[in-house]
Amino acid sequence: MFGSFLKTSQVKSPWLMHFDCGSCNGCDIETLACLTPVYDVERFGVINVGNPRHADVLVVTGTVNQRNAVILKNIYDQMPTPKLVIAIGACGCSGGVFREAPNVLGGIDKVIPVDVYVPGCPAKPEAIMDAVVVGLGKLKGILEASK
Amino acid sequence: MNLNTFSLALAGLVLAPLLGGVVAGVDRVVTARLQSRLGPPLLQPFYDVGKLWSKVIAPASHWQGLFVRWALAASLASDVLLAAGGDVLMCFFVQAASASFVALGAFCGSSPYSKLGAQRELFQLLAYEPVFMVAILCLAKAAGGFDALSIMAAQGPLLFKLPLLVPGLVFVVLVKLRKSPFDIAASHHMHQEVVRGVYTDYAGRDFALLEIAHWADVTVVLWICSFLWATGPVQMLVTGLVFLFAAVVIDNISARLTWRTMLGRVAPITLILATANLVWLYLE
Repeated sequence: MFGSFLKTSQVKSPWLMHFDCGSCNGCDIETLACLTPVYDVERFGVINVGNPRHADVLVVTGTVNQRNAVILKNIYDQMPTPKLVIAIGACGCSGGVFREAPNVLGGIDKVIPVDVYVPGCPAKPEAIMDAVVVGLGKLKGILEASK
Repeated sequence: MNLNTFSLALAGLVLAPLLGGVVAGVDRVVTARLQSRLGPPLLQPFYDVGKLWSKVIAPASHWQGLFVRWALAASLASDVLLAAGGDVLMCFFVQAASASFVALGAFCGSSPYSKLGAQRELFQLLAYEPVFMVAILCLAKAAGGFDALSIMAAQGPLLFKLPLLVPGLVFVVLVKLRKSPFDIAASHHMHQEVVRGVYTDYAGRDFALLEIAHWADVTVVLWICSFLWATGPVQMLVTGLVFLFAAVVIDNISARLTWRTMLGRVAPITLILATANLVWLYLE
């Protein structure tokens, strides 16, 4: 019973950490819009945290470039396991219109493993919330398989 | 110790942290409703602690785990003391030890935010502990004894003898519940200048234990506040809820103050009011 409560808790309490990895702020604004009374993601137990040691889900917006790749990797490494990564927007998924730029490495998945991709320029808040739900479904599958 | 006292102490050990968890849930739901949101389920704090418990992460320092466990033991001990009808002043000192252990654990961390939060935690202790102690002295003087049972058995509500205690106790509740404007050490709402302050370096299972210790602390503080109207269990519950609701409303309508304002203005004013009430009791 205690074990099943712990597994339920992991799905019901996703704490998000949002990292702007060089976004134009379009996707950032849409991500923060999820926390407003209109969308109220706290209904699902979501809290926006500023500390990777407390985070379960890393939400990344923007492209990865030569300078911030180390920071992104550092943040990811500081998060406790199990953890999810969500790449938001065209830039986060693939580098978007900046993918050919000389300093740009590409999407988030060039540096850390990504669980869910959210397309869009910018991505809609509904799509971002759906990505969290899909990611938690994936986590639930992993937890069930580890029985 | 007779069997009745033992069962009361056991109930305090188990039920007090659970009650603190429910209080945290009520707090989050009421806060969300005040902000025109639906808010999380009532049991969300329990899910959060369950989640933190199952996380795997290396501690920032091996000392932290030890300090967290000492803090939890001290917080639970203060619950047990109060539930068994023990000395309220002793309960207060044990709880102060718990807060000190949290600060010591944070000092062991490597993050500058953690260290800054720990220093602010000590400032908080310096600010609210004298007020809380004088409040307990007033309660004991008005009720005729330091043990919780005699305070709860006092004739009539103590509030009418201790009106100047209310601002002081609201101040203590705001600080202990980590609410604005005195959420200085832990920065409960994220994205502030100290990240998560004293909690920054605690993670995973240690953080879960710390949350349980916090719930136990909240129960003790609200319980002591409810002594102001301890004519029956329902009246005590309502008094505790009034203090909780006041803290939630103040949290939602006020910005955070600096530690200088807390230590230099609010703490002396509330301390003077509480001391005046104590002097009045002696002169009466």
